[in-house]
Amino acid sequence: MTLIMVVDDDQDLAEMLGIVLTGAGFEVDLVNRGDEVMDLFHAQTPDLVLLDVMLPGINGNEVARLIREESMVPIVMLTAKGDTHDVVLGLEAGADDYMVKPFNPSELVARIKTRLRRVISETAGGLKIGDIAIDQLAHSIMREGKVIPLTRLEFDLLVALAKEPGRVFTREALLNEVWGYRHATDTRLVNVHVQRLRSKVETDPENPELIVTVRGVGYKAGVPGSKEQ
Amino acid sequence: MAEKRRWRNSLVWRVTGNSVLLSLGIIWLVGSALLSQISTGIFHEKLNNAISDSETSARSIEVQIAVAQFQNDAAVKKSVDQMISIASLNGATAGREIALLHFPIVKPVANNLERTSNLLSPASVPDSLRTLVRTKTGSHWAKTKIRYLGGKVEDGIAVGSRIGIPRAGTYELYFLYQLNSQANTVNLIRTSLWFTGLALLILIGLVTWLVIRQVVIPIREAAEIAEQLSAGDLGRRMEVHGENEIARLGTSFNEMALSMQQQISRLENLSRLQQRFVSDVSHELRTPLTTIRMASEVINASRSSFTSKVARSAELLIAQIDRFERLLADLLEVSRFDAEAAVMVTEPVDIIQLLKRTVDYLHPSRDKIIHIYSPLEPVIIDADSRRIERIFRNLITNALDHCDGKPIDITIVESEDAVAIGVRDYGIGFQEKDSTRLFDRFWRADPARARVRGGTGLGLSIALEDAKLHHGTLEAWGRLRRGAHFVLTIPKSAGVEMASHPIPVLPPSELSPILIEAEDEEL
Repeated sequence: MTLIMVVDDDQDLAEMLGIVLTGAGFEVDLVNRGDEVMDLFHAQTPDLVLLDVMLPGINGNEVARLIREESMVPIVMLTAKGDTHDVVLGLEAGADDYMVKPFNPSELVARIKTRLRRVISETAGGLKIGDIAIDQLAHSIMREGKVIPLTRLEFDLLVALAKEPGRVFTREALLNEVWGYRHATDTRLVNVHVQRLRSKVETDPENPELIVTVRGVGYKAGVPGSKEQ
Repeated sequence: MAEKRRWRNSLVWRVTGNSVLLSLGIIWLVGSALLSQISTGIFHEKLNNAISDSETSARSIEVQIAVAQFQNDAAVKKSVDQMISIASLNGATAGREIALLHFPIVKPVANNLERTSNLLSPASVPDSLRTLVRTKTGSHWAKTKIRYLGGKVEDGIAVGSRIGIPRAGTYELYFLYQLNSQANTVNLIRTSLWFTGLALLILIGLVTWLVIRQVVIPIREAAEIAEQLSAGDLGRRMEVHGENEIARLGTSFNEMALSMQQQISRLENLSRLQQRFVSDVSHELRTPLTTIRMASEVINASRSSFTSKVARSAELLIAQIDRFERLLADLLEVSRFDAEAAVMVTEPVDIIQLLKRTVDYLHPSRDKIIHIYSPLEPVIIDADSRRIERIFRNLITNALDHCDGKPIDITIVESEDAVAIGVRDYGIGFQEKDSTRLFDRFWRADPARARVRGGTGLGLSIALEDAKLHHGTLEAWGRLRRGAHFVLTIPKSAGVEMASHPIPVLPPSELSPILIEAEDEEL
């Protein structure tokens, strides 16, 4: 059974989320305070964390950072503010996705399922991007025999780009493919996560060679050293 | 920086330059006047000397000749020669020459006594003076060029009178006085005037420069501090010394800075409070709304087990929650604009792609009534895609709500610095006088008309604010029952003012006045 940890200080909302998520077939842990998250997290090891931003104790962004220090578990932020600043802060703290209140419950469930889905690839193993080997079965990537830890979302993003090396992905296409959005223009999600991914896989994140920006369009998998030619 | 420094220095240099130029003029005038007065004075003194000297000499010559007259012609000649040579000797040292020329009216006698001293050319005596001497008795003078047979020429004065020589007849006796020592004196004076003038000029320039600097330095300091103030460093103040005008400038400058600082911090506080309030309201309202919404969805999901009345109520509940949500979102956006807390996040966006996506989302049906006319190439601009998409959404929703089933034309035209998007419908339109009011919040063309489904009444007003945030414009044209035309124009690079409007708000099909009249009669 999939365990989802719901962190929200509003007890009614937390209960309602519990009803909706159990209805969708998940097991749910409810937490009301930010400073109680880590204890329960260690005890239960949930498969996904739904995290409100405004929390008593420590705030949601800080909780996300604490979780990221020890786990690659998917984190979806629940925010009451659609303001760029707050959203970007949450994403930078390590959240994979966010939902702006008031959200549609079916959309929430869809997003959670996307985050939990395992990409089963027909061509197991085999993928490469630059000098990085991607093992799709083990969900891990390696450079020169050393494993680089990635969150599941970062992994999905890298795989999406690596599967079609020549293709330029628009941000919207990536949102569709990786995040499961049917229609969205919040390209900040893509931008922030591309930055995070670059900081992990690029040898020089300031001059990315693996994940190349195509101005005005989006991103594509790059071929290292091609700039010099 | 160098540019700015030159500009800051320019007042000093300009004032110094001007005062030096003016002084140059004054010194020139005064110097010239002085010089001309001095040289006239010197000339007149020389002239007076020359006249009295010539009279004395002429008299003594007459006396000598008178003594010699009783002897023969040769004695007279000898006496004249002697007299000339004595005069030549004197003249060589005193710069005086003598010319004894015969009086042409009296017939020349065999014994010609015409003489000049020191190879003086007789042409040295101007004809006008000779005429004067011939016609009038007494002594006369004139300025002349003293010419020697060797070719030397000197400035000088000629003084002449008649002289009667026994046995030889009447002659003209001229004394010519060189003016070179006077000219030398005048030259000397001129040179020293030049040097004095030059020295004065340099000194005046220096003094002006120093004085102006004294005034300009505090002004420059004030300007620098004003720059820092406007850059946001509100704590900067001028130093005040003494009680002169500059000190007063400093004091009032500081007072201004203080009151500005207070005002700004008061406004900042207000704006912060407002932003906090908006964000708090947002949070406080959204959380319960989320719960309500989820509850209603759960209820709605089991609608089939309800009686028809309860089921319909559940449907209405969901629809109204949707509407409430949109209204809340729009209200929050509006208050964010009011608090000037709206933030632009610009990135390169392909505007055509964005428009097509929005149209597909809003109007996915097969029987397309929306037609897009756009360039084939992508039009990439620096903009906040979320806001631009919201403008598109608002304009297209608005057009769909008012098009009356007739087609909608969307045009994209780009120019050098701007891109324009025109949304034209041929539906119910609006009265000409309403073309600005329809951007007002909650404004409705006809209050009695049924509310259009979906609209919050804030869409166009938010679209206008979004356009303004991009330094763009949003204009509307409309006529009752002939449709409406909304034109969004935004600069291609974020924050840059644009010069062109690629799409005029008046639709081309409305340009012919005859057509409009005909249509009016028809309707």
